[in-house]
Amino acid sequence: MGIPNYPIHLEDPQLQGFYDGLAAGELRLTADPDTGEWVWYPPEVVPGKPDTTLEWRAVSPEGSAYTFTTVTRSLLPGDHREEVPFTVVLFESDDAPGCRVPGVLVDADGVEPRCGMRLRFRPVPVGDHVIAGFQPA
Amino acid sequence: MKGNRIAITGVGETPFLRKGAEPLMQMMVRASLAAIADAGLKPSDIDGYIGNRMTPGSDDLGPAIGMKDRAFSAVCDVAGGTASAGQALILAQLAIEAGLATHVLVPYGIQSTKPGGVYGFHAKEPLKAALEMPVGFFGQPTYFASMANRYAHDHGMSEEELASVAITYRKWAVITPSAQRREPMGLEEYRQTQMISTPLRVADCCLTTDAACAYVVSAVERAKDMPHPVVQLAGVGIGTNNFPHGVLFTQNPCTYEYPGEASAKKAYAMAGVDPKDLDLAQVYDGFSISALVQTEMLGLCERGEGAKFYHAGHAAPGGRMPVNTSGGHMSGGYVPGINLLIEGVRQLRGQEGERQVPDARICGVAGLGGNSHSTAILTRN
Repeated sequence: MGIPNYPIHLEDPQLQGFYDGLAAGELRLTADPDTGEWVWYPPEVVPGKPDTTLEWRAVSPEGSAYTFTTVTRSLLPGDHREEVPFTVVLFESDDAPGCRVPGVLVDADGVEPRCGMRLRFRPVPVGDHVIAGFQPA
Repeated sequence: MKGNRIAITGVGETPFLRKGAEPLMQMMVRASLAAIADAGLKPSDIDGYIGNRMTPGSDDLGPAIGMKDRAFSAVCDVAGGTASAGQALILAQLAIEAGLATHVLVPYGIQSTKPGGVYGFHAKEPLKAALEMPVGFFGQPTYFASMANRYAHDHGMSEEELASVAITYRKWAVITPSAQRREPMGLEEYRQTQMISTPLRVADCCLTTDAACAYVVSAVERAKDMPHPVVQLAGVGIGTNNFPHGVLFTQNPCTYEYPGEASAKKAYAMAGVDPKDLDLAQVYDGFSISALVQTEMLGLCERGEGAKFYHAGHAAPGGRMPVNTSGGHMSGGYVPGINLLIEGVRQLRGQEGERQVPDARICGVAGLGGNSHSTAILTRN
């Protein structure tokens, strides 16, 4: 299995918080500081609360796959033929059910991906950056 | 809004091509003129225009087709099939019933081969660029593939059942002279098409098409004096959800739960008919998975039974509920939503030759675009 290699574009600077978390070995999601509720993905404006700045909070690295797909023809701009196949999962931490984090399935040789499979978060270095990875738990 | 007040009196399109030589504007003018002529009208008879945020507006296209009085013009705010197969009809009825326009033109064109490709707009979405593209979660086939795997987990779906959606539409395309892909396709040929993102193969995806389509809307009373049998709008409904584009494919609690049940409920209520009353349907088939789910939402089968419905042959030629009778977007041609609506009109006129559904009187048309969905119920007067 391969690993996708595509640069991270942070047009919305608040999304840096996600990658600060990866650098620290943590999976961090955004929450509304007033209510404590998860607001994920972080929208440019919190619905109905334009003055609210979301907080990044670490969540449990343990969770499960809502769904997955194994990409055999990458549709990313540019030539990525060397990087396929890879499997993308939408991961839900046990601390934040319903908040899905896309990441790459790693260390899963011989494992058939499936919805509901138990996973553990693991940052994955790719070139000069780090992406979210998940390995079978 | 009441049903049976407006009719689709003219339809037209350019050839469906994998790669066309003409710019979008030229194709849209051709399709518009064809629709106006089909309605037995002159361009100067058109006094209403409903465009789309993705295509040229009436400032440019109106003069190019020879409109004289652009008394009413509007732009559909929603995307894809919802716009051309639902929202445009609502706007047309509002304009006609208010006396603002007599004959309303609705054109829509697409140039899939434009620079930047069909997925270029996804790359501009900041959340996708930051969180999804670096892990390779990118492009419609990948998004919809992840839905298909979840659907299979929730309801069960074999490869053969999934394949039967594409195979069904291809059967219709084989007997449709204007269809883009007419070579027969069985399970073996399906399996030979390239896998893009499991479980979706090339054959599970809509085509890339360069083409334009257009239709003319007039009052039912006026349509009775026009060239074709009257095909009227008996019901129409729009459904929406609150997941914007950046989160639509990941954070919707059920990612394949399009707002299709809400739109169908409104359309059936307005038309005063049930799903069992339909003679045929056109279902927005961006992908096999989204088509089979909308087939369920339109009420043609139970929820969770869509793939089995296709596998049983019900939607194929000779089946009890023909679906996408010109090959749909996956084998016929992809001009989002509008070519399916036009096929519905033509079937109800009753002159479709080999693929004609016998005694077709009521057709449901489902349109999906972004986080909105439309259902239209067309009937032959």
